Amino acid sequence: MMPAAEPPRIRHDDNEGDNPMISAFRPRRAFIASVFAALVALPTAALAQELTMWSHWAAEVAKRAYVEDAIKRFEASKPGVKVKITWYEKSALYAALKTALRAGQAPDVFYAEVDQTDYIDNNLLADLSTGVNWNNVEPWAKQAWTFGKGTYGFPLEASTVEVYYNTKLMADLGVTVPANGQFDQAAFLDLVKKARAKGITPMSQGVGDRPFPGAYVTHEALLKKLGMNDYDALMKGKLSWSDPRVVETLTWVKQLVDAGAFPTSFTSLKLGESHIYFHTNPGALMFQVASWYTARAFNPPDKGGQPVNFPLGIMQSPAMNGGACNNCKSLAVGGSYVVNAASPRKDLGIAFLNSFATPEMGNKWLENVLVQTGIKTDASKIAGPHAGYFKQLAKANESNTYYFGTPVQVMQGKPKEVFTQVVNSALPAGSISVDDVVKQMNAAK
Amino acid sequence: MPPSSAGASAAGAHVARALGTPWRAVTVFLLPAATFYVAFTAYPVFRTLWNSFHKVLPAKEEFVGLANYAELVRDEIFWRAVRNTLVWACTSPLFEVSIALVLALALYAKVPGRRFFRIAWFTPVLMSYVVVGIIWAWIYNYDWGAVNTGLRALGLNSWTRAWLGKQETALPALIFVTTWMWSGFNMVVLLAALHSLPSEVIEAAELDNCGWWGKLVHVIFPMIRPTVLNLVVLSFVGKMKIFDLVWITTKGGPLWSTETVSIYVYKRAFEWNTFDLGYPSAVASVWFVIVLGSVLTLSYVFRQREKLEY
Repeated sequence: MMPAAEPPRIRHDDNEGDNPMISAFRPRRAFIASVFAALVALPTAALAQELTMWSHWAAEVAKRAYVEDAIKRFEASKPGVKVKITWYEKSALYAALKTALRAGQAPDVFYAEVDQTDYIDNNLLADLSTGVNWNNVEPWAKQAWTFGKGTYGFPLEASTVEVYYNTKLMADLGVTVPANGQFDQAAFLDLVKKARAKGITPMSQGVGDRPFPGAYVTHEALLKKLGMNDYDALMKGKLSWSDPRVVETLTWVKQLVDAGAFPTSFTSLKLGESHIYFHTNPGALMFQVASWYTARAFNPPDKGGQPVNFPLGIMQSPAMNGGACNNCKSLAVGGSYVVNAASPRKDLGIAFLNSFATPEMGNKWLENVLVQTGIKTDASKIAGPHAGYFKQLAKANESNTYYFGTPVQVMQGKPKEVFTQVVNSALPAGSISVDDVVKQMNAAK
Repeated sequence: MPPSSAGASAAGAHVARALGTPWRAVTVFLLPAATFYVAFTAYPVFRTLWNSFHKVLPAKEEFVGLANYAELVRDEIFWRAVRNTLVWACTSPLFEVSIALVLALALYAKVPGRRFFRIAWFTPVLMSYVVVGIIWAWIYNYDWGAVNTGLRALGLNSWTRAWLGKQETALPALIFVTTWMWSGFNMVVLLAALHSLPSEVIEAAELDNCGWWGKLVHVIFPMIRPTVLNLVVLSFVGKMKIFDLVWITTKGGPLWSTETVSIYVYKRAFEWNTFDLGYPSAVASVWFVIVLGSVLTLSYVFRQREKLEY
């Protein structure tokens, strides 16, 4: 909280004391000054209780509603406190924050993701180790935001990489998904070819406006093939992309691409359009995407959601031949909130984030936003029309081992830029050879 | 000089000396403009140059000498961006100004429907790059875009492609967009230049039985040459700075085939998860010098050696 405003000092000229007229006026002047000081101090005190917040998700109705509801609850629990939130789209928010943080004009609380380690490197985030009830947060979600001795973000949104599929189209193709939900390399390639032969787009990913959807197939395959440690080494530039296992995996991905795994409009297809492409028009067999798929798909159909009674299935990413960890899967902590280290209302900001750390708020997120969260929840208590989906998702994840973070979160700088252009875009678009992928990724290390 | 005139001149000088230079008025009139110039042009330019020799982080600045410039020399993405931008800046003016000249001559020759065409051809420049980018991303869409739909209707299925998604077509496709957008503007400027030509010169050429081609090459073009060259320079400078259209349509992809220097500066400053403004400032400084040098060179090459007489 800001210290109370210091009352204005009354200046006494050296010769004033001898003047009886001036001496007679002193009590009145002091009174006027006090009133003035009080008038100045009142709004300042009120402002001291205004917590400013900048957040992504301007266009995501459910998430906005959830956060706005949390704000109302927090304001009700702290009389005199007002949270003033400004909604942005992500790229605009990031650009605004870069400038505002540098100028010391950033809000008290803002949206961030775990890849923004530059905030931590420059001591711009407050340590949330104390002040947040971490017992109500999943340990892996806390770990994702823990750097050194501090924990710097509150992990609201989390997601796993899933392969969603249309069960009806799968049946029409005469293909049965294995009991464990996981095809092997050859069977998956065959599935792609079968779908293409019937004029069905096998997978509906596109990279028109995002730097990651085209890379899902590749990085999940690499994770399974290499296992956690070697995959981590690859992501951090400590393992060469010339490694035979990496080349073998990239060659398989290239085979999928050459078999027509992705839409012909892959390079211009935007994320929102990919969803529609999968479930509505023209319809695709599979859609490999993070489990925040539901944030769009469970909207009403006239707002871009999937059709009522859409036959949605979830399978695992294909198992790799000789894979070191075929039950490994990427788990990412997504949208999070952090507190500005320079904020004069740091404690209030941390208290606000702590207000999210309850099982009630976790379940509320799950029920309303329909996306996983880092807050501990009880899926068995989830009711409503999508309860079945969450049971299906829980089943799809019951025996998995998780690697925390996706490549665009783990990589920084030039490797990230090259990964985005090469592995996310050029490889799945079929415009680059495996040799060139290896060469470019090695050069960017 | 006649005595009376010399006397008047001396009196004028006397008055001027008596009044003195009105420094106060000069200051009052110059101050607002000078303040804006210093705050929004001179200081940012100086600050960018300063930053380029430093590592600029939120809490500290560290002098790094020429390290940023040395990194720039080895930066392949930067050189690719330079190449793309130069290709764009060198080809666009040729297309834009030559097409604009043809359109302006058509209107000057009073083709039927010229009022409609003047408005129709000028309209694209009234739209922002953001709107233009969205429209053309639709037009170039592989599945349902107008270009591929038209090709399919003509039975040219093999010609269809993801125009903005292929390395070989992405940059030409964007150059086509800026040509479409700016030709109308250039046309209006050239049309104004054509209408301001002295009619007696053209009439004299006609009396001398000069054909339309001869009139165009030997009479009209030399007289509108300064306008043409100004448009070429303006177009060149505009493309050297291009950002919005690329950001909306391709963000520099695929495989940096549409990466421009402005896009690269923005990515390095705001998208590379680093707070350092030193390196992007070095890129911006180098590019500023290149643009300035190019404009001065163009102005020198295009200068009018002989004054036209007519």
